[in-house]
Amino acid sequence: MTVEPSIYFNEVNERQGVFHRRTFILGGLAGLSSIALIGRLADLQVVEAQQYSNLSEKNQFNFRVVVPPRGRILDRNGVEIASNRPDFRLVVRRNEVQDLDQTLDRLSQLIPLTAQRKRQLLREVSIAPRAVPVAIATGLSWEEFSRVAVRTPELPGVTAEMGEARVYPFGGAFSHVIGYVSKVSADDIKKEPNPDQLMFHPGFRIGKQGVEKALDQALRGKPGGQKVEVDSVGRVIKEDPGGDVAPTPGAEVVLTLDADIQNRALQVFGQESGAAVMMDIRTGDVLCLLSAPSFDANQFVSGAPAAYYKALAEYDHKPLLDKALAGTYPPGSTFKTMVALAALEHGVDPKRAYYCAGAWQFGNHTFHCDKHHGSQDMHSAIVTSCDIFFYNTALTVGPDRIADMARRFGLGQIFDIGIPGQKKGLVPDTEWKRRTFAKSNPANMKWFPGETPSMGIGQGYTNVNPLQLCVMVSRLANGQKALHPRLIKSVGGVEQQPPTNIPDLPVDKAHLQFVRAAMADVTTEGTAKATGQLDLGPLMMAGKTGTAQAHSYAGGHGAHGAVGAWELRDHAWFVAFAPYDDPRYAVSVLVEHGGFGADAAAPKAREIMRVALLKDPELRSRIEKPLILDTPPDTPPPLPAGTPA
Amino acid sequence: MTASALTRPGQRERLTEKIAEIDWRLCALLLAVAGIGGMILYSAAGNSWGPWADKHMIRFGLCFALMLVLSFVDLRAWFALAYPIYAFALFLLLLVPVLGHTSLGAKRWIFGIQPSEVMKIGLVMALARFYHGISAREAQLSWKLLIPAALIGLPTLLVAKQPDLGTALLLVFTGAGVMFLAGLSWRLLAAGAIMACAAVPPFIMFVLKDYQRKRVLTFLHPEEDPSGTGYHILQSKIALGSGGLLGKGYGLGTQSQLNFLPEKHTDFVFSTFAEEFGLIGCVGLLALYAGVVAIALRVASVSHSHFGRLSAAGVTVTFALYVLINAAMVMGLAPVVGVPMPLMSYGGTVMVTVMVGFGLVQSVRVHRYLEITSGRGSLL
Repeated sequence: MTVEPSIYFNEVNERQGVFHRRTFILGGLAGLSSIALIGRLADLQVVEAQQYSNLSEKNQFNFRVVVPPRGRILDRNGVEIASNRPDFRLVVRRNEVQDLDQTLDRLSQLIPLTAQRKRQLLREVSIAPRAVPVAIATGLSWEEFSRVAVRTPELPGVTAEMGEARVYPFGGAFSHVIGYVSKVSADDIKKEPNPDQLMFHPGFRIGKQGVEKALDQALRGKPGGQKVEVDSVGRVIKEDPGGDVAPTPGAEVVLTLDADIQNRALQVFGQESGAAVMMDIRTGDVLCLLSAPSFDANQFVSGAPAAYYKALAEYDHKPLLDKALAGTYPPGSTFKTMVALAALEHGVDPKRAYYCAGAWQFGNHTFHCDKHHGSQDMHSAIVTSCDIFFYNTALTVGPDRIADMARRFGLGQIFDIGIPGQKKGLVPDTEWKRRTFAKSNPANMKWFPGETPSMGIGQGYTNVNPLQLCVMVSRLANGQKALHPRLIKSVGGVEQQPPTNIPDLPVDKAHLQFVRAAMADVTTEGTAKATGQLDLGPLMMAGKTGTAQAHSYAGGHGAHGAVGAWELRDHAWFVAFAPYDDPRYAVSVLVEHGGFGADAAAPKAREIMRVALLKDPELRSRIEKPLILDTPPDTPPPLPAGTPA
Repeated sequence: MTASALTRPGQRERLTEKIAEIDWRLCALLLAVAGIGGMILYSAAGNSWGPWADKHMIRFGLCFALMLVLSFVDLRAWFALAYPIYAFALFLLLLVPVLGHTSLGAKRWIFGIQPSEVMKIGLVMALARFYHGISAREAQLSWKLLIPAALIGLPTLLVAKQPDLGTALLLVFTGAGVMFLAGLSWRLLAAGAIMACAAVPPFIMFVLKDYQRKRVLTFLHPEEDPSGTGYHILQSKIALGSGGLLGKGYGLGTQSQLNFLPEKHTDFVFSTFAEEFGLIGCVGLLALYAGVVAIALRVASVSHSHFGRLSAAGVTVTFALYVLINAAMVMGLAPVVGVPMPLMSYGGTVMVTVMVGFGLVQSVRVHRYLEITSGRGSLL
């Protein structure tokens, strides 16, 4: 600038004036901006403060899921059937680990970790959701666990957890009833309407069968939370025990089962296949619900080895099938009780006798009987289990009346006992045939007369499961009420299906007594004379044997009993109640392909019954101090006249 | 200073007199703000002097001393050095692309300094020097205004090219501020503003680098990408909002302590402060900054020379822009452009720039009666 600009005084003043005005404006603008910023701050820090405060806490704290102890399952006397044992495990969380490879290397110096398992873990962790822990090892010994636990500071992301694992103290005795728990599968998660965090935890197990499945929600409990403070990359800065939420343990389930009876039942079956069901005939409580052979439910808790599962699935005795509920078999001669009741109700004279010559011609078919029984009336036909009598009687009564009677006793019916998996079986009648074959085979819609004699001895289409037969005997023994079986006694202290308002059993009491008396003679002089004796002083057991064909014998009468290939042998049945003079317990025993009911099933029923009777203090006192009284307290009412002794 | 006209010649040149003329209220406010900064950096490091708080306070101490020394520099020297400093800064800016040192994807450094920072002071001085020499009428509307436009435009382009969008914007706004204070015609101002607004969309679409465009778009829709680019804004808002009215307490800011808040010690130090001290604390802190601006503007308006007025006001405008842009940025009202909070954010360069600026302001105050009548400063 070579020429000094001529700035005059007024201009100088003007420049200064402009500057002052403009400075004032600019200062005002800055002031306004500041006020706007403070407004924004007030909006964030006062109006929306709560929202951001929540977000901040969500940033700051994570909750680690704490698996609640699963509810115990107890028998009626408080004996643990399913319980929990301490389980030491190591888990790793993806969001807390930095170098998993290195961490696993360090871990493998402390606990056995194969290279293959390490690769598998790397893959598992990489696909697991961020905060969901992945189990590195479970079922560690205390030494291994503590060895890792003291070194966790050097193993970021690895947590040594002391959890609980399901344990079934009796191994196999209850496997079919209570089922088992197992690892959560992808399907399980899909089925859940909104799967909670718990389901992703490696320590959590889900009920897969039986009571464990049916009452899974109640048994689970509510997960707790371990509050931890985390930084922005998810590393745990510190734990906050004050913020921990304790898990709510699962509800305790009490069953009506009696562990002693159930265990004895499994014991008496040995290697044999079958089922045993026992009920308290005053309440309907199921005291025993066994299917044999069984399997060790404990194996499934940590994931059953494939070989173990394969062996179970392939064994012809079908250990995985619950035969007490899902196995249906022809009832055989045990069904004769129903035929007799139907006949009595129909007005058939119990003294009406038929002559048994071992075989009986009907149409162009010859029906057989085990023996040559001679003249048989209704009482003796039940005692000796004469088929010829019941062929004839069934023809007199007709299938529909027999079926109606059988249904009144619970056959062909599914009972709501709180666990799934029952098979209905079948009590056939003419209507059923019409309906069933209407489309598939119209020629077979008609009930053929030749089908009635088979039904009279519990064969043909007739199919029942052991639970139904036990209900049948219970109602027969009770005589008053149409009892309903009950398995779940209480859930979390709440009584389930209390035995009130049981409907009456619409059957003539005198008829029932007639059948009961005949059943009493079965064990004293009839088919189960040798095997149905309790040997418990004054206590007598009444029962009925059954030997059911497992397949139809081509070309007439084949070899009965325990001969031939196992899968072709007859099914053995025995149903019974005791004591005869004051009935308390009813039992049904099936021995699959066991041969004769009296030989295979009755001894088992007797042993199971003895346990129940000896556990009952009232009955035990009768056994130990036989009453010497002028008048016996519970003399059975006199049998109908004309009954042969 | 009503008795100002009654001083003896040479009296004001005496050091004791000059020390008395320094604005100690301004010094106290600067000390307070920097002290709060040190305190927050101590908390952000998890109650530790290292690695930020100690260095911050030492730097401030040195810069404070530098400011006091600069206060005594005669205003005529500032005046005379205005163009040379500007030219020097411009020269360095031209050298940056050639010799610059790349850091974080941008070439901003040369010989250990950032030329753009030198330019912040240089531009203010050059503009003040220019307007000192023209009349009010010319400052309002004349062809001569192409010169300040060029003075602003050249360095802005060079800085934007580095790329350093924050500093470029700061240069433009500072320059525009000085032009406005000098008396730019309202019409021209309006036209410029409209043109600037019209230029923004094409500028965003074509001139900006990808990461810069992303920042701007994220600013407009932060919710769309909460873990990516929007993360900074979201976490900053969480820090601010969760602070509430009274704050979480000193040293208890979880967002900063647990590192959810990114850049908690630099660009987002205000959020760190807000989380721990709440709305009350923020209003107090902004009041301190407002106090600094008000005093500095007051210093500018009492200066007898136009150069003094404009240079002090220019520095103040820069300082106020830093504060406003940074605060708006952390509150989610402006894109994340990397403008720190002066005197609080950890970082030496800005501290030096700001304190040299306040050295100029103090010098204007100390020499407020000085008339600069000649383009050739009497010192030269």
